[in-house]
Amino acid sequence: MLKLRLIPVLLLLLLTGCKSDERILEKLGMVQTASYDLLDNKRLKVTYCVPVTDPTSKVRRELMTTVSDSLKSARLQFSLQTDLKVVSGQVRETLYGTKLAKEGLGDYIDTLLRDPSIALGVRVTVVEGDAGDLLSKTFKSHNDTGRYITHLLDKESYGNSVPATTLYEFSRDFNDDGIDPVAPIVKDGGDKVVIEGVAMFQEDRYVMRIPAEDGIIFALFRDDLRQGEVAINLGDKDGRPVVIMLSSLLNKRKIKVHQLGDGRFKVDIFASLQGSVLEYTGEEKINESKARHELEQKISEYITAKADLMVEQMQEHNVDSLGIGTYVRNGLNYKEWTSLNWREVYPEIEVKCHTKVVIKDYGKYS
Amino acid sequence: MPEKLSPFHIAVLVYMTQSGIVIFTLPRSLADYFGTNGWLVLIPCLLLSSFNIYLITLVFRLGKGRSIFEIMEQSVSKAILYPFYLGLTAVWLVFGCMIGKKYVLLFQMLAFPTTNPMLFKLAIDVLAFMMLIKGIYRMSNAVTLFFWMTIWMFGLLLWFFPSFRWARFTPFLLHGGHDQVKGAVEVYAAYLGYELSILLFPYMNKSKSKKSMAAIYAANAFLSFVYICLSLICFGFFGPGQLKKLLYPVLDLLAYIQLPFIERLENLLYGFFLFLVLVTVVMYWWAAQLSIQRIIPKVKTPVLLVFLLGSSYCVSFIPKTLDEVNVWITNLGYAVTGIAFGLPMLLIMILLIQRKGGISHA
Repeated sequence: MLKLRLIPVLLLLLLTGCKSDERILEKLGMVQTASYDLLDNKRLKVTYCVPVTDPTSKVRRELMTTVSDSLKSARLQFSLQTDLKVVSGQVRETLYGTKLAKEGLGDYIDTLLRDPSIALGVRVTVVEGDAGDLLSKTFKSHNDTGRYITHLLDKESYGNSVPATTLYEFSRDFNDDGIDPVAPIVKDGGDKVVIEGVAMFQEDRYVMRIPAEDGIIFALFRDDLRQGEVAINLGDKDGRPVVIMLSSLLNKRKIKVHQLGDGRFKVDIFASLQGSVLEYTGEEKINESKARHELEQKISEYITAKADLMVEQMQEHNVDSLGIGTYVRNGLNYKEWTSLNWREVYPEIEVKCHTKVVIKDYGKYS
Repeated sequence: MPEKLSPFHIAVLVYMTQSGIVIFTLPRSLADYFGTNGWLVLIPCLLLSSFNIYLITLVFRLGKGRSIFEIMEQSVSKAILYPFYLGLTAVWLVFGCMIGKKYVLLFQMLAFPTTNPMLFKLAIDVLAFMMLIKGIYRMSNAVTLFFWMTIWMFGLLLWFFPSFRWARFTPFLLHGGHDQVKGAVEVYAAYLGYELSILLFPYMNKSKSKKSMAAIYAANAFLSFVYICLSLICFGFFGPGQLKKLLYPVLDLLAYIQLPFIERLENLLYGFFLFLVLVTVVMYWWAAQLSIQRIIPKVKTPVLLVFLLGSSYCVSFIPKTLDEVNVWITNLGYAVTGIAFGLPMLLIMILLIQRKGGISHA
């Protein structure tokens, strides 16, 4: 029995072997936001933002910037600048400058995914201009710009006006054939950080963007939705814009592919949405079903026109952000798909968007 | 009279022996070796392992529940049997030991990257020793407890439903893979563990022999169900393209789970997998112990275990990297698969000869 009692003691003693991997919270610099920019000499400018947890300190964050050749060698250089042990286990946000994003994010995403301390839930965001400059800037009433951007994007992606892109989503769409990744794009708006729109990638290269106000329309045709709001301008009435605002959107998206032969395809994308009208500045009586159906028709025409234009732009830039290729692939056999050069075919295919709108209710006022 | 294992305990024991470290890499192996919809390979694996279990039940029936060692010793001379037993012991012992080492190396990659892995290995070996000295009946009680402590994790798969898309599956069947034969053996290794049920015959309740045999099938079917669900989720969540790139997709799945009050849950969850790995290791070592005990029956079990575990611990110093351990596991996997099929077939042959020769074993 004595021998058995000795075993827990032995196990405890074994723990002393972990001394070299000891992590003391106060001695750690837990990076929360990191930004990466490509400089003219092809080197990387890396900025890390580490929240300061010391309650007696006046500053809420510590910023570190360095120029290096790779993401991880930047971390080694940061170690020389701070008394803390820089660790990346708590990274929530990675910001990429436009120049870097245009060159391609593949290698950087690869490095982040390789690190076991970095989870797949880390956000990927493009910054219009220089990401390091934006992260270094202090905005009034926001102590920590990195966290401010994270919360801003969190909130907006909940309403689907911009896609919530994490390492998981980016690398998944990058590695899958028949779909290209997307990411939110933000910019310095003077005294605020502003969401600029949705960045669309060809493979891993940032190629085009759509403005933030069209983000929800893009979302309607990219996937099913269970949340969202859209404001639609139905034209002018006596010099005054007529606006209808749909809230609590529910959307079902469907893609149908028709093979026309000779590697030609016709694709129909259907968005079927319903929502509540919370604002209407026109003169029709929305409590009358006929008027309401007319409004539904007008809204669907508006959304369809916008979506058609968006798809046209995507085809021009040869980015398949809606994942049409996935559905084309799923309609073919393996040989047909592998012999098909989707990048060549995609800009030529005929894509038609269809929208069906149902006004579920119009609030509590007639 | 020693207590007998109930059919439920047998099922849990077999399932827990089967599931282990391979779960972390299985979806990747399926995508990498078999390409699109590689998860389908799990179905022939289930059928093949069920056939193997059928062979084991035949041994049970023909041998009327006798221990396999008794069956062999009745007809084969000890000069042949002892080297054979030694071979079995070596394969089972080192296989178990490498599984433990792989778990340790993976754990180390996630946490404690600079600590000497052999310290963790020692801690696991001590735990295994403490289980082994208790004997199979009390081990099975502990294993049942471990089963309840880990099975809830299966529910975590629900977490991935919102991001799951059937469109990612592709309609292609098993295209875009490579080295399918090697892949098939590697994937089949995920099922291994059921073959140790052949050693459980003397501990089974003879009056419930049919149920006991059904329990082995049930455990294997349940394991397949778990594997298929996990692989389906991985293919629909990651898509085959990304799955090929992720070395340990299940670790990435665990890392994706975030709760409002706790981030980076995977280190915590990975700890629970220790129970699955520990049971696999312990069962292989138990099998090794049984076969060596036939050669040296007079040595006391704890002494024998110290010797066995000590020598396996020394062997585990040899491979230093994850890749080296993988090579060991793959090669030993071939041997274990060979034993899984070969041993019951050999026993059936011996039993048929015994029957023909009219040797009584009443």
